[in-house]
Amino acid sequence: MAVLSGRLIRRSAMPGLGLSGGITLAMVSMVVLLPIGALLARGWQFGPANLWEVIHHPRVWAALFLSFRLAFLAGVANLIFGVLLAWVLVRYRFPGRRILDAAVDLPFALPTAVAGIALTALYAPNGAIGSIAAQAGLRIAYTQWGILIALIFVGLPFVTRTVQPVIEEIDREVEEASATLGASRLQTLRRVILPMLAPAALTGFALAMARAVGEYGSVIFIAGNIPMKTEIAPLLIVIQLEQFNHDAAASIGIAMLAISFAALLSINLIQIVTRARMGHV
Amino acid sequence: MSDIALAPRRACTTEARPLRAALIALAFAGLGLLVFAPLALVFGHALSDGWAASVAALRQPDALSAIRLTLLITALTIPLNAGFGIAAAWFVTRFEFRGKALLITLIDLPFSVSPVVAGLCIVLLFGANSAMGGWLVAHDMTVVFALPGILLATVFVTFPFVARELIPVMIEQGRAEEEAALTLGAGGWRVFRTVTLPNIRWALIYGVLLCTARAMGEFGAVAVVSGKIRGQTATMPITIEMLYNEYLSTAAFSMAALLTVFALLTLLVKTLLEIRHSDQLAAMRRH
Repeated sequence: MAVLSGRLIRRSAMPGLGLSGGITLAMVSMVVLLPIGALLARGWQFGPANLWEVIHHPRVWAALFLSFRLAFLAGVANLIFGVLLAWVLVRYRFPGRRILDAAVDLPFALPTAVAGIALTALYAPNGAIGSIAAQAGLRIAYTQWGILIALIFVGLPFVTRTVQPVIEEIDREVEEASATLGASRLQTLRRVILPMLAPAALTGFALAMARAVGEYGSVIFIAGNIPMKTEIAPLLIVIQLEQFNHDAAASIGIAMLAISFAALLSINLIQIVTRARMGHV
Repeated sequence: MSDIALAPRRACTTEARPLRAALIALAFAGLGLLVFAPLALVFGHALSDGWAASVAALRQPDALSAIRLTLLITALTIPLNAGFGIAAAWFVTRFEFRGKALLITLIDLPFSVSPVVAGLCIVLLFGANSAMGGWLVAHDMTVVFALPGILLATVFVTFPFVARELIPVMIEQGRAEEEAALTLGAGGWRVFRTVTLPNIRWALIYGVLLCTARAMGEFGAVAVVSGKIRGQTATMPITIEMLYNEYLSTAAFSMAALLTVFALLTLLVKTLLEIRHSDQLAAMRRH
């Protein structure tokens, strides 16, 4: 590292370059690069044509599409509810606000397997909420609705937690100015506040969606796991692994990696465009 | 006087009273259905046959072994993650080098990788029919379906937590204080202990709490690498799944309730920290 310091690293009086850099690079290599490299190498050995054949199988295709579509819908639901929740928590004062604020973090802290069995018991046809829905003719658990609820649960904190600090920093004088210029409250919210929240809200949406695409623990209990209908992509990987079909598992894993990268990339682009339009940095 | 001045100010920067009430009600309803109801249900189901049955279920040898394993994995993950987080944050914020953005992306990568894919990667890297796995088997070491694999999977899914909390705080703090300490003749470790650490301690605790909660509850990645051997490689979440699939509802929910208590404890510490140290934490929330 010292040999390279002239070119790659600018000289610094700070101590600990070798130690901190060494630990960082060693850990990143061992924990992230090597395992993901092993996945890509496996896919490469298997060959692009074979890989495509695995992914193109109707059951795999259906699972990938299901995971992606429901993750997107859950992201949208979280986007709307998350902004609402952030607004309520920052702007309004009411009894129980602190508890509500703490509850937003619960999906981060609560193990996904616990969330999975609890949501299933709650929304199953004989569960407390599921039975009410069943009377209205709606089955939630063991259908795509159930998966959607689990995905909304795991993505719940992301939008709220990214938008909250932005709302805290909004200068109320902007809203006053808008009001004095004759805007109604609704116009102020729509034309002044929402554009300010958009970049943070989209970041939260991207994080929630990325989490939801790959979510496994909270979903498999409530999904019912019916092939072509409620079978998510991560479950297919587990099934393939249980049959020691490592090539097929690697193929689906690579497809999922590609999907989450594409999703993150497109969201980053949207963010850049939104910020540019807003005239922000 | 101030009332007169404030009255119109409030009116134009907030919503009408009925709308406010409706939005608050909606927030409560949403979190009620998604968070409070499942939480209440876990404890309700766990205690449906009484305390004695719950405690008895948790004292089964397999259950005790799962609790021990989960605590062990968490205890090993925390120092690994905190050590890496501090080193990475120091490296990234105290030095200028090429490829920094790429390095940060790699640190963040585990956030957007499915836990199941993470587990799959580890199986492919260390599994018995891979090059490295073959070498390990020849030297009598097992990673997959054993403790090292579970630990590696847990470190993977919690990888960014501490680093991500520390980096923004250390950028904001700048290097001036540390440089001053260095000019005054303090050694590297002393600078870190007496200057850096006090500045980053809340962010560090916060990151460690997030890491703890996730490490105790990780399911997808561990499910793939653990092999789910009862009494040996089954962690608490894995045991919950096995009990649930065997229709042992009380046992499954008792284990779930215990895990929930652990999760609520981390949440409680975090909330207390936020209340008592809102100033220092406000700076960190901005990312």
